[in-house]
Amino acid sequence: MGTYISRKVLSLIPLTLAISFLIYLGMELMPGDAVSFLLPPDALASLSPEQLEQMREALGLNAPFLVRYFRWLGGILRGDFGYSLQSGVPVSEILMNHLPATLELSIASLLMSSVLGIVLGMISALRKGTLLDHTLDVVGMIGVAIPQFLLGLILVLLLCLNTNVFPVGGRMAYANQPLLERLNYLFLPALVNGFSMTAGVMRYARSSMLDSMGRDYMKTARAKGLPEWRVNFLHGLRAAITPVVVLIGFRLPMLIGGAVVIETVFQWPGVGELFIKAIRAQNTPVVMMIAFFSVLIVLMSSILVDIVTAWLDPRIKLS
Amino acid sequence: MRNKLDRKMDAILRREEAGVRRKTIQNRTLRKLASNQLSVLGIVIFAVILVLCVGAPLFTPYDGISMSLAERYAPPSAEHWLGCDQIGRDIWTRILFGGRISIGVGLGSALIATILGVSLGTIAGFKGGLFDGIVMKVSEVMMAFPQMILVLIMVTITGPSLWNLIFIFAVTGWPSMYRMTRSQMLSLREEEYVQALNAFGISPMIIAFKHVLPNAIGPIFVNITLSTAMFILQETALSFMNLGVPLDQATWGNILNVAQDISVLKDYWWMWLPAGIMVTLFVLSINFIGDGLRDATDPTQIG
Repeated sequence: MGTYISRKVLSLIPLTLAISFLIYLGMELMPGDAVSFLLPPDALASLSPEQLEQMREALGLNAPFLVRYFRWLGGILRGDFGYSLQSGVPVSEILMNHLPATLELSIASLLMSSVLGIVLGMISALRKGTLLDHTLDVVGMIGVAIPQFLLGLILVLLLCLNTNVFPVGGRMAYANQPLLERLNYLFLPALVNGFSMTAGVMRYARSSMLDSMGRDYMKTARAKGLPEWRVNFLHGLRAAITPVVVLIGFRLPMLIGGAVVIETVFQWPGVGELFIKAIRAQNTPVVMMIAFFSVLIVLMSSILVDIVTAWLDPRIKLS
Repeated sequence: MRNKLDRKMDAILRREEAGVRRKTIQNRTLRKLASNQLSVLGIVIFAVILVLCVGAPLFTPYDGISMSLAERYAPPSAEHWLGCDQIGRDIWTRILFGGRISIGVGLGSALIATILGVSLGTIAGFKGGLFDGIVMKVSEVMMAFPQMILVLIMVTITGPSLWNLIFIFAVTGWPSMYRMTRSQMLSLREEEYVQALNAFGISPMIIAFKHVLPNAIGPIFVNITLSTAMFILQETALSFMNLGVPLDQATWGNILNVAQDISVLKDYWWMWLPAGIMVTLFVLSINFIGDGLRDATDPTQIG
């Protein structure tokens, strides 16, 4: 297990390096010159071309592309992610300010969609052919087809504007509320962000559960005289859950991409909202660092999925 | 169980002998598709929306561009079935003309991504070797990004425009198509008929594209439907955030864009809800067709 994980992590290093190179290339390709971002327009206009050239030289912008890339990469390894072109604040500091909100939202939607999806899928399988099963099926199909931001808007309209069940947007009423008191802010964005994933997990869990229900080990468990809930939950679910975990792992990148849109709809002060603002302002260092981190999260989660599946299903050997 | 099946077969045989058996569709895939109620429903919805959008001028007297300031925010009425927007354009008209662009972006980019991914996958999967290794690494790099993030970065580099969006969707969409075709090719190339064709001295590329690729057509079509649905949803999301097709061109996402304004969201439902329903219905119909195609092209399923 240990060797498997370390080998897997090592194999990601060349991939990560290639991606970091691409990301730097993207930064270079983006419109605008770093000097013009660093100075207010009136100061820029008062500078002579020679002075501008001096500034470029001083900032190291005239070095060859590869030299600049390795300088940037070295900075990242030392934890220096560059500076925001809008405010001049270090990117690491900005990320630190926005990351907790995004983590909160992602974990909440991940938990909600996997637990809700698995439970509903199981109920659907156990009650196959009933009205409940068909209703869940229809909701699931619509959940995959509706644009997530539209679902968000409709829920905001129904639950926030017309009836004041939930607050319209934002993350908290005033600074530093404990998590429990902020749940009413978190609930809607997490639900919406995880909705299509819930639907996907539910359909998958249903068919996976149906598949496991006819197996011999279920009959054995029943023949042993175990109560029905133990048979379904402990024996059926355990075998049915492995493919579902793989699906959840596959869907994780979509959850991250979705968070960008959902944070904008709910004015959730996280990395996604920051990303969109940075893109609008062409704030390249911020855009690229966020992209880089999202890639790292995707790669890490793929390893995590491998480990969890091996842990759940004793038949799988990591090698 | 056995008897029941026997009786069914007997009944079919009797009808066949009497010559009253209905003529069925010869193609097995199409027959299976036609017997799936949800996919028939999907095809009907898909066709209706497509006809409405393509033939838009036939179904509306307006052009969707000219403004009528007297009718700003007009609610639905006999003249304007779905009311008017904030500068007095007819919403129904805008939904139809917007559908042209949205469907075009979705289908167009899915087709380009498919052509790209399938050709690369066929060549790489059939030949293997260095070319396969390189394309595989490139697809790995691209798939490490969450799709939405990659799309947004590329929008920033190229700037938002209709053609850029199609280009970006195609570029970010081909890797999954490539992976799928490649894995199909890897298993199909071991078949005996391929060895026979090889022995005849037929050029490998002709074998790959003409003789092997048609056997992988099922999953490819399923993938086209999935990508089309995904790209249409992404276009609406991007346009909703003002990062998609520029606002002067009507698309489903651009119509939904007004719902960012809370007062519009609350008081003028006709300005955004119908467009939202249209997108959802269309994506739903594509998903139904895709599910039906998956079952119909799956040889392990009877029908």
